[in-house]
Amino acid sequence: MDTSKPAIFVNGGLLPMHVRKRVRTVIQVLGSDRGTVIGKSTDDHQLTVKGSPPSVPLTNFVEVIGIADSEKSIQAEIWTNFGDTFDTYSYNQLCQLANGEYQLLFL
Amino acid sequence: MYRSSEFDGSAAAFMGGGFMPSQTTQPPDSSFLPSSKNREARCLLALTVKQICELSSNDESNFVIDGVEVTNVTIVGRVCQKEDKTSEYTFLVDDGTGQIECTRWVQERIDTDEAEGILIGKYVRVHGHLRGLQGRRFINVFSIRPITDFNEITSHFIECIYVHFYHKRIRRQGTTTQPQLVNSTMNTPLKGYQTAPPNQSSAYSAADGLNNIGQMILNFLQQPIYLANEDGVHRNVVGQQLNIPMDKLMDELQSLVENGFVYSTIDDDHFKSTVNA
Repeated sequence: MDTSKPAIFVNGGLLPMHVRKRVRTVIQVLGSDRGTVIGKSTDDHQLTVKGSPPSVPLTNFVEVIGIADSEKSIQAEIWTNFGDTFDTYSYNQLCQLANGEYQLLFL
Repeated sequence: MYRSSEFDGSAAAFMGGGFMPSQTTQPPDSSFLPSSKNREARCLLALTVKQICELSSNDESNFVIDGVEVTNVTIVGRVCQKEDKTSEYTFLVDDGTGQIECTRWVQERIDTDEAEGILIGKYVRVHGHLRGLQGRRFINVFSIRPITDFNEITSHFIECIYVHFYHKRIRRQGTTTQPQLVNSTMNTPLKGYQTAPPNQSSAYSAADGLNNIGQMILNFLQQPIYLANEDGVHRNVVGQQLNIPMDKLMDELQSLVENGFVYSTIDDDHFKSTVNA
């Protein structure tokens, strides 16, 4: 696993801009099916996260860091439980800022 | 409730702890050269690791970003390596924009306990002193503690953006900005009925949805003659001068009082603006 590459903040709408690159996002877990987790992005897109989730149960909100392997899915390397409440609005705004005017601080 | 005119000029309001120099201690002119070593200049900056790694430096100790000297920094990231040496722990912290080595020197039991509690894969908040050696950057850690509320990650990066924007804007606007900022943060007396600072009026209406009549009453009460009078103004005077029916006037005054723009003075009939009160 190459952890030296930056992982850019994305939401569902920004994911297509970063296909095959390293991304980080927070999803609200909707369900899972054979190694695939379906989640809702902070801007209400449905995303598929592949990879092996941690052995501990996932909380409502989960951060995944991994490679965007399509416009709607991420091959996750790192899963972090963010708990059952999370300010998705602020996170979504941060995604916009980190991909826009202030990208130089991040990428 | 913040008036935006107060809020945007004051980094301390955002920083909460007053880690950043206030307006008065941080003039954007030559007295704030990177070489100045006064304590006020040594503020704590929220930065991304990418910003830290790209800092310009003429030697290994003087780092400058957006025209501000960088000595102490705070970062938020994930621990991806941890090494336990006898007198120190080193953590490699990845904040998604890059990685930086953080060294926590341990002397007492409490230091060891803090460092022991930090596990690989956990998110942490680091406060420390930025150092450079042979082109590498690392942080001498004052404190490293686990993140328990993950909104702190979001807020940290928003703070990084704010700090960058704040220093950029101060520098770009140069010295001409200073008087305005001081004016807007210090509630200087208004010079006349018609000359209420536009930013202040717009802040009232934008932030609090003041209608025209409310604004009119406020402007009236902010005339120097009434600001100077401890008793304020009798409501009859306001009503007559502005030609507003008494019931409407009382509604508006009530709303101004509730929003903190106006207060009643010697009795329930006298009102005064809170500006410069």
